[in-house]
Parts: sequence; structure tokens; C-alpha cells
Amino acid sequence: MVMTSNTNYLRFRLFHRFCHFLIIISFFGLVLTGMPLAFRGYGWARWLYELFGGYPTAGYIHRICAIITFFAAFMHFIFLFYNTSVKKKKGYFWGPNSLLIQPRDVFDIVGDIKWFLGIGKRPNFDCWIYWEKFEYLSLMWGTLVMAFTGLILWFPVQFTKIIPVSVASIIDLPSIALIIHRYEAILAAGFIFTIHFFHTHLLPEKMPVDEAIFTGRITEDEFKHERLNQYKRLENQRQLDNYKIAPPSLFVSFLTRLFAVPILITGLIMVGLMFSALLVWAI
Amino acid sequence: MVYKVRESLMMEILSGVKRLEFVAFLATCVTILILSPAMLFAGDNGPCIECHTKPDKLKVAEKAKIDPITGEIKVSSMLIDEAAFKASAHGGEDFFCIDCHQDLDGKDVTEGHKPNLKPVDCITFCHDDPAEDYLQSTHVKLMRENNKDVLTCKDCHAGLSYHYTPIGDKSPRDVPRGTDPLHRKLTIDACGSCHQDYLNSYKNNAHGQVATLGHTTTDVPVCFDCHGKHKILNSSDPESKVGKERIIETCGSCHANANASFVKHVEHPQIKDVKYYKTLLAAIKNARSDPGNLKKVIKNPQTILCTVFVMYVGILAFTFSAFGLHSLLTWFAVVRDEYRRKEHGDDEQH
Repeated sequence: MVMTSNTNYLRFRLFHRFCHFLIIISFFGLVLTGMPLAFRGYGWARWLYELFGGYPTAGYIHRICAIITFFAAFMHFIFLFYNTSVKKKKGYFWGPNSLLIQPRDVFDIVGDIKWFLGIGKRPNFDCWIYWEKFEYLSLMWGTLVMAFTGLILWFPVQFTKIIPVSVASIIDLPSIALIIHRYEAILAAGFIFTIHFFHTHLLPEKMPVDEAIFTGRITEDEFKHERLNQYKRLENQRQLDNYKIAPPSLFVSFLTRLFAVPILITGLIMVGLMFSALLVWAI
Repeated sequence: MVYKVRESLMMEILSGVKRLEFVAFLATCVTILILSPAMLFAGDNGPCIECHTKPDKLKVAEKAKIDPITGEIKVSSMLIDEAAFKASAHGGEDFFCIDCHQDLDGKDVTEGHKPNLKPVDCITFCHDDPAEDYLQSTHVKLMRENNKDVLTCKDCHAGLSYHYTPIGDKSPRDVPRGTDPLHRKLTIDACGSCHQDYLNSYKNNAHGQVATLGHTTTDVPVCFDCHGKHKILNSSDPESKVGKERIIETCGSCHANANASFVKHVEHPQIKDVKYYKTLLAAIKNARSDPGNLKKVIKNPQTILCTVFVMYVGILAFTFSAFGLHSLLTWFAVVRDEYRRKEHGDDEQH
């Protein structure tokens, strides 16, 4: 491409960027202090656990990060409630801007499979691609599961008090919570460090980091290439100009990389260690 | 006036006498100390430490010993690590060498002592209660019923799994205190050397996973914190620490306000135990002929744990294979498109 336009569009507002930042900080804190427990038999797990202060310090860090996650989730739901119920904005639960699964996502999936096989062209997506929706929904579901099981493990005596003895002798709440918490954590960490990283940040066209979630901006080319439907829709509605914004400064771009690249590398190392543990176990 | 002068004079004389007395006492003490041979009396480890910390002062610095369990011959050092001894269970303020090595009581050791002391009798005067407790335990009862050799004290208390010293071979002398984290950790291995299944399931639990990471301070429970030390009893025994009569008290020693539902906790989840899945499958297979057994297996809290575990293994396998494939395909497709674009030189807008 010879002509590269310098026009940028706003993709993520400051609120969403801040929430993503909070989630990064708390998620890494949780993974680095929690994963050693799941992989307790391995040398690296001991090293990592000691690095974060061992018992009980690592546990305290884990709980502080959990509170940050609760806070981010709380802000997210306040945001949703405020926009849908107070400001009466439409389009959060249905339509092209919704993060919930829509009928056209089924066609997008079929189109994507055709593209993989070389039968068709890459489908044009709207505001959210189907796998982004899946990531969002699994984050919501995962946070809910982890928060609930985590609270049971944090306050086991109080939680068991509310269930009768006859039920408790069949359904052992803290033990179930521990198993769910452990394997949901492996699922979440594995998912973020592979699927999320490779679909969003480490694509050949984005390497090493998709800056949109940090600077909030995407270029016109990226917009047309990734979300042509949304671009055309906004163009038809004559709203495109409302999203135009100055490109990110070099300093912000640099800061983004300075922050994101070590985080990405840490995540990849973690998933590498987790995967090697699986191999050791399998062999 | 007169009285007062007299009084002060008396005081002076008296204090003078006192001073004299004190000097005389001191002189006597010093004389005795200098002239006396190194006599061993209760209240002083000095003469022992004097030689047993310096290899050149010992006639025999190392001795061969036979391991009571394995029969291996090991070299045992006659040197004492004072710091290790002080930190050990025997290293208290009012405990002395001759309390155990009683054949040296009152002996003059200026020229050393006879090479082989009497074997130390740990039980008769000091550790008689644990032995009695142990004889009442389920360990002994079951072994007697099944005509097996009853484990002796040394089966657990000897060997590197229980005693460790930084120098030479194991020595009951430097036996660590019950609160020593390394000691607590080694007891897990000692129990686990026979009860392998229970060790494995313990490691899957919230307590065991922290212990496996190497943290065995007193706020992380190891085997004996719940099961007891010498008088380990089957949970059906009313006196058992893990039986229904005392379990609330046992859990409550760490978890304040432990309640009847809380103590139903499965401390040994068998989620990775093949044997459990075998019994589950066998119970399902014989569901018609023996429905009671199936009911019992289903009511076992382990069943839910194992079901949740298997479910999660499935979810993990599905998610990572499906999305992993998706990631790979996306990558290949992006690279392919890029390649085609360069190959044909067309900047197609799809």
C-alpha cells in the first residue's frame, strides 16, 4: 500500500482502557501468586511462590489482587447499569454494537472457516468479532466463578455455616470450590496467555502488541481492514467524523510498548511453564 | 548521738567483715575451679562441649553405627554442633548431657571417658507416656490383629526422615522440636512412606498444596496436626481426633467457630486416584444386582469432586484444542493473504 492515511479513530474510551489496565494488573498478580499452588510439584512453582513472599504473604497479595478484580467488575456493571437504565442508551444487548452473541456471528464463523480453508475471502466484521465476544463473555463468566469460589475458600467456615449438615456430608463446598477455582484458573490463564494473546496482540499484522486498548485509537487502515462493516455503517450514518481523533503521540506509543511487552513475555513464559508441566505429567 | 556513732561504727565493721567474707569466698571458688578436675555434675554441659566440639581433642572422632531399620553401617560423628543442639528439642535451659548419658554422672572426664557409653534409654524416665499412647493406637491394634510386626519407636523416629543433623549421621540428641518447619515437613514424608495414597490426596487439598510448596510452619497443618502423634486412632473410635466426637475441636484449633457442616470437609480428595474411579465404574456396572452400593458411592462426597474434576479436564481439553486450532488457522490465513497480496501485487480490499 502506497497511501497510508494518518487518520485515527477512537475505539476505546478512557473508562474501558482503565478497566483493562486494572484487569491486567490484578490478573497477573492473581496468576503469579496462585499458579504455584496449582503446579506445586514443580521447582519453578516454588521459586515463584517464594518470589512473592511465600506463605502467607503470597496469599495476601492474591487477595488484594482479587479485590482489585472485584472493583473492576463492579465498575463495569455500574457502567452498564448507568448507560442502559439511567441514560437509556440502546444497543448494549442487541444490535451491531452489542457484545452478546448475535445471529450474524454464526455467519461470521462459517465465513471465517471458509477463509481458513481458502474457499472464501476474510469476512467483514462489525464492532466486535465473534471471538472477541467469546473472550468478553468468558471473562465475565470466569470472573463470576472465580470470585464466588474464591470467596468460599477465603471464608470457608462462614459459607459452610449456611448449609445443613446432611447436605454438607454429600456436597463439600470448600473442596468443590478449590477444584473449580484451580482448574478455572488454569483455563483462564491458559486462555488469556495463548488465545487472547495470539488473536489480539501477537497476530502477524499486530506484533508485538495491539495498542488500541492502551491508546484507545486505531488507524483508518486498521479500521477498514478489521471492521469494515462498522466503518461503512458509521459512514452511512454520517457518524464517522465523531470518532476521528489525533494519532497517539510517540511517547504514549512508547509507554504502551514499555508496559505491554514485558507483560506479554511474562504471560508467555507462564503458559510455557504450565504447558511443560502438562508434558512432564503426560510423559 | 552516742548510739548513732556506735551504730555507724558497727555498720562499718560489719560491712568490712562482709567484704572480707566475699573475697575469701571468691578466692575459694577460684581455687576449686583451678585445682578441681573436670567433674561432671548436672547443671553443666561445659566439660562435654569442651572436647566434643574440637576434633583434635577427641581420641575417636567418628564411630560406625548400624542403622536400626535398614541395617546399613553408617559413620557417625562424635562432634556436637552446639547451635543445632541448642535449637533441638533437647536443647532447653534445664537439660544436660548426663541426663541421658547417665553412666558418666559424677565421673572425672579430664582424661576422657570409656569409648562406648551405655545405649541411652529414652523411654524409662522421660518418654514413657508416648510409648503407652502408641501401644493403644490403631497402628498397633491392626498390626497385632493381622499378625504383622508391630512398628517400633525407631521405625518412625529413626532415619533421616525424622532426625536430621548438619554434621555426621543422625542423632537422637539433635531431635528437632515439634514446631520446627523442616521437621514437620519430614514427618509428612515419614507418614507418606507407608500411606502413599493419603499423601497424594493430601497434596491435592488446600492444606497439602501449601505444604508441598515447602511451607510447613505451625499454621499449615501436617498429618499429625489432625491425626495426632502417638495415639492415632481410627475415626470410628470416640477418642479419635478425626472421629465425629472430636473433629469440631480438631478443626476448631485453627478455624475459629468451626461448625458441624464445616467439619464434613474432604481432607483427602481422591480426584486423581484411579482406584476411586474403578470403584465408581464397578458400582455403576453392578447397579442392578447391588443398588445399595451404587447409592452409597453416589452419596460419597468424593463423587461430586471427581465429577467436577473430570468435567474440568474435558472443558480444558475442548477449549484449548478448539481455540488453539482457531488461532493457528487464523495465523496461517493471515500469512497466506499477505503472501498472495505480495505475489499478485494487487492491494485488494476485501
